[in-house]
Amino acid sequence: MKYQIRHLTEYVYQQPVANSYNLACLTPRSLPYQDVTYTELQIYPATAQRSHYTDYFGNIRHFIHLQPPHEQLSVISHAKVTVMPRGNAARLSSGYTMQQLADYLQQSKTTEAVYARMLCQPSRMVPCTAETAALLPPLQRQGQTVLQLAEQLTQYIYEHFIYTPGFSTIVTPLSAVLAHRRGVCQDFAQLAISCLRAHGIPTRYVSGYLETQPAPGQPRLQGADASHAWFSVFDPALGWIDFDPTNNVLPCQQHLTIAFGRDYADVVPLKGLVQGNGGHQLRVAVDVIPE
Amino acid sequence: MSLENFTGGRYPLTPHCFDELVTNAGTVRPPAGAIARFIDKHGAPELFKRQQQLNQTISDMGVCFTLYSEGANIDRAWPLDVIPRTIPSSEWQRTSAGLKQRLTALNLFIDDLYNQQKILKDGIVPADLVLHSKNFLAPCQGVSPRYGVWANICGTDLVRDEHGTFLVLEDNLRVPSGVSYMLENRTVMKRVFPELFADSTIVPVDDYPAQLWQMLASLSPRGDGTPPCIVVLTPGIYNSAYFEHSFLAQQMGVELAENHDFFVEDDLVWLKTLRGKRQVDVIYRRVDDIFIDPLAFRADSVLGIPGLINVWRKGKVAIANAPGSGVADDKVIYAFVPKIIEYYLSEQPLIQNVETYLCQDPLEQSYVLANLDKLVVKPANESGGYGIMIGPRATPLEREQMAAAIKANPRNFIAQPTLNLSTAPTLCDTGLEPRHLDLRPFILQGAELYCSTGGLSRVALTRGSLVVNSSQGGGSKDTWIINDEG
Repeated sequence: MKYQIRHLTEYVYQQPVANSYNLACLTPRSLPYQDVTYTELQIYPATAQRSHYTDYFGNIRHFIHLQPPHEQLSVISHAKVTVMPRGNAARLSSGYTMQQLADYLQQSKTTEAVYARMLCQPSRMVPCTAETAALLPPLQRQGQTVLQLAEQLTQYIYEHFIYTPGFSTIVTPLSAVLAHRRGVCQDFAQLAISCLRAHGIPTRYVSGYLETQPAPGQPRLQGADASHAWFSVFDPALGWIDFDPTNNVLPCQQHLTIAFGRDYADVVPLKGLVQGNGGHQLRVAVDVIPE
Repeated sequence: MSLENFTGGRYPLTPHCFDELVTNAGTVRPPAGAIARFIDKHGAPELFKRQQQLNQTISDMGVCFTLYSEGANIDRAWPLDVIPRTIPSSEWQRTSAGLKQRLTALNLFIDDLYNQQKILKDGIVPADLVLHSKNFLAPCQGVSPRYGVWANICGTDLVRDEHGTFLVLEDNLRVPSGVSYMLENRTVMKRVFPELFADSTIVPVDDYPAQLWQMLASLSPRGDGTPPCIVVLTPGIYNSAYFEHSFLAQQMGVELAENHDFFVEDDLVWLKTLRGKRQVDVIYRRVDDIFIDPLAFRADSVLGIPGLINVWRKGKVAIANAPGSGVADDKVIYAFVPKIIEYYLSEQPLIQNVETYLCQDPLEQSYVLANLDKLVVKPANESGGYGIMIGPRATPLEREQMAAAIKANPRNFIAQPTLNLSTAPTLCDTGLEPRHLDLRPFILQGAELYCSTGGLSRVALTRGSLVVNSSQGGGSKDTWIINDEG
């Protein structure tokens, strides 16, 4: 599937602000199953200074600095992306079991294993608590692979948690999500991550987009799509395999990847600081258009 | 010379403790000869008089320390005991070689962690320990500061065991404090004991600020030959070490600035001055890692410079110590330092560690839980003596709470045997009494390696107490390296 992405983030300030420093994580990365043929970051006012680098997780980061007073800042990420089928559904049963995975993590000396072991650790936004850890044992079966277990967990979250836009903010703790059994995609991804890491399974956070289908007979609405998040589990034989607990699917050709991290905090699409008084209005619009 | 002469026979040595000035047999150690002769000649009344002079000098010079718990009255006169601690220069030579070896290995370790991670792949240090550490900062990955050196300034805490052997208690690689007090202690002592300094076998300490400047200058990324612009970054007057920040800036002749005196533009760091903006080459930061750039680390930091890390990543500004170096300043990593030295240098450590039990290891944890009454338990990531439990002095309830805390978060705790820290005669109301002490030397690494002459000796002022931290009410002594090599 070929897509065109347009992701607008716009700040409108009540009073002029100056010295705006921002760090963006908006540019989709190339992956074996995702070919990124074109990217561009448009910034208004155009006088903003920018530079970019690749971070620890291999994500493309842009540093943006706008010194003169301004009343508005717009960052528009454009990209053209081709997403290939991954065929993961058929492979889940051929992965490692819990014991095999634990042995591998204990013994392997590769870069990949060291990276995977980091992603077994709790992180700033994803603590590993007894409550999250308790979700997993009832789903465990004899002879099950780690990936099949992750699939069970995906389904469990989908069936037992209610997708509730506006329920949470970026600082809502996992305990609240667990207590109310509600949340958004970010919460469900981080809940799964916490739960799997508590059992020593390397898990990472994925930020990206989901192509949404307009209702039958309706035209596509501009800006109706949104950023999406899911999680990814490491299998030594198969690599990193994605799961989407919000939709109970294995991400495939409708999921477009921007970045990987330990949790949301590593891949915030746009964060920044400005000098000034008064409030601001934020507008975000995402279009994922199949070509 | 006998103890009889030294203190009128009333100096009570502590059993199973090495005393810095007096041998077990009660004789005075050779480097302390001059002090012993002084006491013999003038007696205790003169010592009290000199202590009075000394306190007055400290107050006149404005040497102070800030305690966070004292509410409104935040500055406190720096406590300095009138009796110095003496160490022979031959012993100090060996010790400083060991300290330089240790810092060299720690810097190779930090550079490896943020780049190749060879030591993790080889399993010498468990990957989980490092990567879980809250001081391991992912945004620093892939950077290699000049000379591959991350921790440019290190304060290593040394203690002596009961045989008098120096052991490393901990390495402070984030923003170690105390060197200004080492320097001021010497200035004060010279004024109060001019006669003892006249025979000049006491090795001077005052080259530290020049060495610090030279080390910082060696980090400057500017290649055009212009003198580097070096700035000390302080969190401000409410920081407990503000006295030191201003002192070092003054001694080096560089600017002292707070975060809002800086800004980032054109991928460079600038200082706001009366003559306009000035490009900054080297920042000697005295602000903790996670506060120095709200964009890269803690977004709620009001002490940081937004965009600083981006400039640093590009190599356009040097930061000492480099962000992320705190990863080796973790009490769990500490346990692996002997292995780290062997791994990178193929050498045996010249100074040993204190035996350390990791609560993360199930076997060691069960030993710790069974012996809480004998061990000192420390949280892995705190400094300043906060959160430490000294088993033999703790109440049963305190031990129970600690056991629960260890079980809840084993990674966060280490335990060590309760050490018989060495003592030194200290002037108390009743005369000279032994008090426990440690030693914090300061080691610098940039283009070259340097170790301070002696360091800051910190003294527990309460009888029998083992807690020497200044933030816990500890005092200090001037540290005399006495030339015994002719």
